[in-house]
Amino acid sequence: MVAPAALHAVIWIGLPVIAAIWLSFTSYDVLTSPRFVGLRNFRDMLHDSVFKKAVGNTLIYAFFTVPVAMALGLLIALLLNAKIRGRVIFRTAIFLPQVTATIAVALVWLWIYEPRSGLFNTLLSGIGITGPAWLSSTRWAMPAVILVGIWQGIGLKMLIYLAALQNLPRELYEAAAVDGASRTRQFFSLTLPLLRPATFFVFVTSVIGAFQSFDQIYILTNGGPANATTMMTYEIYKSAFREFRMGYACAESLVLFVLLMLLTLTNRRLAGGGRGYR
Amino acid sequence: MAIAEQARISAPRIRRWSGKAILYVVLAVISVAMITPFVWMVLTSLKTQPEIGAAHQALLPRHWVFHNYVDAFHAAPFLTYARNSLIIATSHTLINVVLASMAGYALARLRFRGSQLIFYSFVAALMIPTYTKILPEFLIVRFMPLAGGNNILGQGGTGWLDSWWALIIPGAVTPFSVFLFRQFYLDLPTELEEAARLDGMSEFGIYARIMTPLVKPAVATVALLTFESSWNNFLWPLLVTQRDNLRVIQVGLTVFQTENNTQWAFLMAGTTLATLPMVLLFLVGQRYFVQGFATVGIK
Repeated sequence: MVAPAALHAVIWIGLPVIAAIWLSFTSYDVLTSPRFVGLRNFRDMLHDSVFKKAVGNTLIYAFFTVPVAMALGLLIALLLNAKIRGRVIFRTAIFLPQVTATIAVALVWLWIYEPRSGLFNTLLSGIGITGPAWLSSTRWAMPAVILVGIWQGIGLKMLIYLAALQNLPRELYEAAAVDGASRTRQFFSLTLPLLRPATFFVFVTSVIGAFQSFDQIYILTNGGPANATTMMTYEIYKSAFREFRMGYACAESLVLFVLLMLLTLTNRRLAGGGRGYR
Repeated sequence: MAIAEQARISAPRIRRWSGKAILYVVLAVISVAMITPFVWMVLTSLKTQPEIGAAHQALLPRHWVFHNYVDAFHAAPFLTYARNSLIIATSHTLINVVLASMAGYALARLRFRGSQLIFYSFVAALMIPTYTKILPEFLIVRFMPLAGGNNILGQGGTGWLDSWWALIIPGAVTPFSVFLFRQFYLDLPTELEEAARLDGMSEFGIYARIMTPLVKPAVATVALLTFESSWNNFLWPLLVTQRDNLRVIQVGLTVFQTENNTQWAFLMAGTTLATLPMVLLFLVGQRYFVQGFATVGIK
């Protein structure tokens, strides 16, 4: 009974991984056979200023989107954890960006950022400010992309924090209240430490997600202007399907793979090993 | 005396009430900010073209042009794109639920040689990023033997490119679903299974008729998450299809945008069509989405 799924995984996951490793040592343009070139692709990468820029941009993007979205997600989860009516309505509104397609919502943001009649500059002109051409400015393109990332990411963080908050032991808070601990004190001495496993889980999975952002770059900026917003995933796509350098693209994809693997392993190590594997 | 008493009681109550009010206001402001892009999308889809092009456009449409949707669906075959997405997402959902539940069941309940190894292979497969798999997957599809004019060695033609096979087969089963089903089957008691076995029921019968009806929440979670990620998928269909009649909605939108980059009303009508099914699906199956997303952690 396991055979169909296992066979599928062998063909569409196992074989591709082996092929990616092998191809990363070749020069391959799809039309002619792959030619073995040893470590040349990896050496080339060290001198590829655009790829290095992409690695830097990926880190910047993750560095700004993840903590901001986490802080906002936690704040909203704390608000929603109070005894309030209409929690489902608020939760739905905040989670919607997560379930809708990144392509579709990125197109909406492209329109919001439109310099002449987009929503942002229309609102700004209402208070007498002439907004920039957000996505074609080397200064504003990255912050604009990051804002979309934060907007789309808040919902999931909020959700995981809300689930964790609802599992916190009530007795501890009652004891703390009896001891006269203030709400602020309770938050910093009880809630935050108790949420540490959730925080860690959210952090690692969000960084992994941020490293694999692609659709919004494809729509909003195509990596531009002047590579200001290009990311590792976008460079892999460009090398493979615009420049037809499959071998080089595979080498780039392995660098991404190793980075993500390191993140996952730290997650295992620090989260106390094997979450939920029985 | 009575007044003083009353004042003492109501001061904290007032503070509590104003606290509640602030809470609702803050939550309302955040929620409105979060759905503003969706509102702007729908409002734009109902405006006239000159209204959108004007330098100082009003937030609300001056004339609500519902006819935009009809015109948009004439300007580009958005309905065909949506139908293609629906066919693919439905196929993915059915295949994934059936094959992943079978695998998850076998790994959880049956003892056979190599089951541990297979399980850990699935766990390892969970960690492979899309962008590492996708290039060789493309090559496998391109060089699929005996397909699309290819010979037995996969040369000479275009393989599965521009076919339903390429759109449906490679992404049909996900290791995450196998993993999730296994966790659910592990929690079931053994008594039912043993009773059925004593009655002479086949192993497949036990899986299909006894155990799977007991893990309906897992079926719902896997089905909804599979449908959602398949409907929202972009890069894979972009890579393997060129023909217009095989395009999915997300790819169709980007093509329309590059070819007609000022027709915002029509484009927003298309994005509304692309997002609405997911909004509805989420409203219906919220509980299962929440559970599934909390388990994966990533989109």
